[in-house]
Amino acid sequence: MTAAARPESALRLTVRDLQKAYGHTQALAGVTLDITGGEFLGVAGPNGAGKSTLVRMISGEEEPDSGEMVLNGAPWSPARSEARVPVVHQEAMLFPDLTVAENLLVGGRGNGLARRPVPGPAHYDILRSLGITHDADRELGECSLVVRQLTEIARALAHATDAQIFLFDEPNSALTEEESAELFARMRALSDAGNIVILVSHRLNELAHVADRVIVVRDGRVGADLTGEALTEERLAREMVMGEAVQAPGSVSRRPGTGILQDGSALTVRAWRHSGGSFEVEELAVRAREIVAVVGVEGSGGREFVRSLAGLEEATGETSLPRRPPQPTSYLPADRGESLFGDFDVGRSLVARLGRGRIAGAGGLLKRRTMARLGERYMQEFRVRAASVAQPIGDLSGGNQQKVAIASALAERPDVLLLEEPTRGVDVGSKVEIYRILRTFTEHGGSVVAYCTEIPEVFELADRAVVMARGRVTGELNVTDHGDIGSLAEAVAQKSGGAASALERPGGVDASRGRA
Amino acid sequence: MNGRQPDEGATFPPDTGARRRPAFAVRNPRVIGLLIAIFLVGMSFSIVNPNFLTVRNMLGMVRAMSSLGLLALGLTLVIIVGELDLSIGAIYGFTAMLAGTVWIDGVHVVPALLIGLGAGVFVGFLNAALTTWAGIPSFIVTLGMLNAVEGMTLLISGARGINPKYAEPPVPAGEWDIFRALGATKLPLDIPVQVVWLLGLAILFWVLLHRTLFGFRLAAIGSNTPAARAARLSITRHKFIVFMLGGAMAAAAGMLDFSFLGSTDPSAGRSLLFPVFAAVIVGGATLTGGRATIIGTIVGALLLSVLSNGLSIIGVGAFAKSIFIGTATIGAVMLDRFTYRKRARPGQAP
Repeated sequence: MTAAARPESALRLTVRDLQKAYGHTQALAGVTLDITGGEFLGVAGPNGAGKSTLVRMISGEEEPDSGEMVLNGAPWSPARSEARVPVVHQEAMLFPDLTVAENLLVGGRGNGLARRPVPGPAHYDILRSLGITHDADRELGECSLVVRQLTEIARALAHATDAQIFLFDEPNSALTEEESAELFARMRALSDAGNIVILVSHRLNELAHVADRVIVVRDGRVGADLTGEALTEERLAREMVMGEAVQAPGSVSRRPGTGILQDGSALTVRAWRHSGGSFEVEELAVRAREIVAVVGVEGSGGREFVRSLAGLEEATGETSLPRRPPQPTSYLPADRGESLFGDFDVGRSLVARLGRGRIAGAGGLLKRRTMARLGERYMQEFRVRAASVAQPIGDLSGGNQQKVAIASALAERPDVLLLEEPTRGVDVGSKVEIYRILRTFTEHGGSVVAYCTEIPEVFELADRAVVMARGRVTGELNVTDHGDIGSLAEAVAQKSGGAASALERPGGVDASRGRA
Repeated sequence: MNGRQPDEGATFPPDTGARRRPAFAVRNPRVIGLLIAIFLVGMSFSIVNPNFLTVRNMLGMVRAMSSLGLLALGLTLVIIVGELDLSIGAIYGFTAMLAGTVWIDGVHVVPALLIGLGAGVFVGFLNAALTTWAGIPSFIVTLGMLNAVEGMTLLISGARGINPKYAEPPVPAGEWDIFRALGATKLPLDIPVQVVWLLGLAILFWVLLHRTLFGFRLAAIGSNTPAARAARLSITRHKFIVFMLGGAMAAAAGMLDFSFLGSTDPSAGRSLLFPVFAAVIVGGATLTGGRATIIGTIVGALLLSVLSNGLSIIGVGAFAKSIFIGTATIGAVMLDRFTYRKRARPGQAP
């Protein structure tokens, strides 16, 4: 790609060695990228690999720690530049109490003391081009998801009539296929007009079909840069997995599920129905010393199912779980913002779930020496890398925070550990350690049920995979029957109802839903 | 299924005791800062008016601080769990009025005071019930309760103050002595008994917040309620206890001041809401919950009392005093914001 081949006025954005760290987490470890006007660039990558961070750098929502951006030969900082870079976010950042058309006005230039602005013909033109004029004067909060997403796009267009770079961060995760196609046509029109269009997406087949060129971001770097012939869904899938697949530690033996063990199962549910209608599971028996992965896309009911076992979602049916505490399970949500206590230091976080008899005497007085000793012990046992137990939990890297979260749940000595996405946003090294921790737990007699969305994780972690789609268990398989991730992915895709890339399609379940 | 997690100390070398605990000043820079501020403010007042730094004035000041301190202790627990209680000033006035009224109506002073205390706990129970069971934000619940309780005070008093000794008929002299002993006794060295009440309860609350499982869990719940739910901590029960304790402390403060003064009127407690919140916030508590200390609250209450008393003594007038204390509270919190870096919280980095 030589600049000389293009006319001098052509748009050209160069990103050089962009780096960004949050605390101890290196979100971007040096991204270098060259994009020219008229290009439709796709960005793929596993969760937490740095895609969203890259988008925030280019849009100017955040500034990089180091590295530079050059626009048309001149150093450029989107945060300070006059020309805005419109971004369409995954979750629409809109105002539900205003009408669709009024939403286009918010943030426009104007005097705060002037009359309340009224949408003009230009705004209605934009809405017409997106096919949502009939909803223009309705309150956004009453409109369907589709209209909301399109409004977000309209807003980006209305604000940046002079914009040349457009960012789309999973804009269609809630849209149906036809709606997505419409949206892509709009995006293509933008790039054909000489603009740069950047689309971040989980749906690999879309990226392969829609974009001219796709980069795969892995561990904060550009792991692959695909164009032309090389740009296929299969190749993308392989590139995504490469950075992620970590070898299961050799010392840890794997135990194939071999029917109900003599000592019985650790947890069973039968005719287990979600009160909110998200799932209906006929039977699940978790054996002792087994790691079960509940695999399914967002909306498959898998997440709700695991949460229901923890008693956090209401469900009815037969179960081996007692009605009242103490429960034989410990539960960890996916989001560390919902599993850790931000005001605590590492030591307190590790023992936060423990109660009377462990960290307090009969009178309820804390045994502070025991707390300190337990904190120190768990920190070593679970290899938490922190300066000391007195370090605030927020200062740790994502991987170490997750180790603390898992340690605090295991400290409760549950029979069954329930987890959602055990290694979301965690670096590769910590992943290996977390898998080893969970494996060790089962070797000592515990069981694990984990909701997983990524096949490499299922491959590394689980003995058995329970595949869920549309609220039901659509199949079960022994992970140990599969020698590599590819074969496992294929088997899971088959069981989940044939959608080849179901797991890369968070909106897969919604696709059956009509236009609201 | 025991044994998969070896028991405490079974596999690890015994605690070597090498864990160094940082010095008090390092752990509590805020308290040190507040003490310096109190010293400087006190110095300034005594330069302007030498009457400020007299034993007599100091004793009067800590006496007046005690009811502020008791209310602030209760509020600290409510705030650390992530809730608010705006009704404490109203409870203060209502319980004193209620106890005084039933006493004058012929009930013995001891049960009368217990009725007052029970009423405070009951209002706290209502606050908790509406906040947890009905799921209404505590700001709204307690704002409504503030109004409702003030209305009750006016209703039972007929909008008139009471003075049991000069009531018609007056209360028995023996009971009057018991009553006055609670809040108006002078201990040796002229120390007001209310100071002892405050010190005793402050120590009790310090143990409760910093040394019991209950306090540890309050901090956890306030720090991150969803995480507390995931860890199966009993959030509702903890909130009930703190609201009821808050009501009890407000009642205690109200009745002790009633005892000290010998009379109460329907507007009692109305002017307390601001200084109580200011003391807790200046003392380092975050309104979103999770962070607060008893020592911070007490030192915060002391600063507010010094300001209030000193400004009165140098005679700036009630209006200027109000302006100054309001500004100083905002300034203290602002200073804190700029001095200490914001702590990263888990789950924020992508």
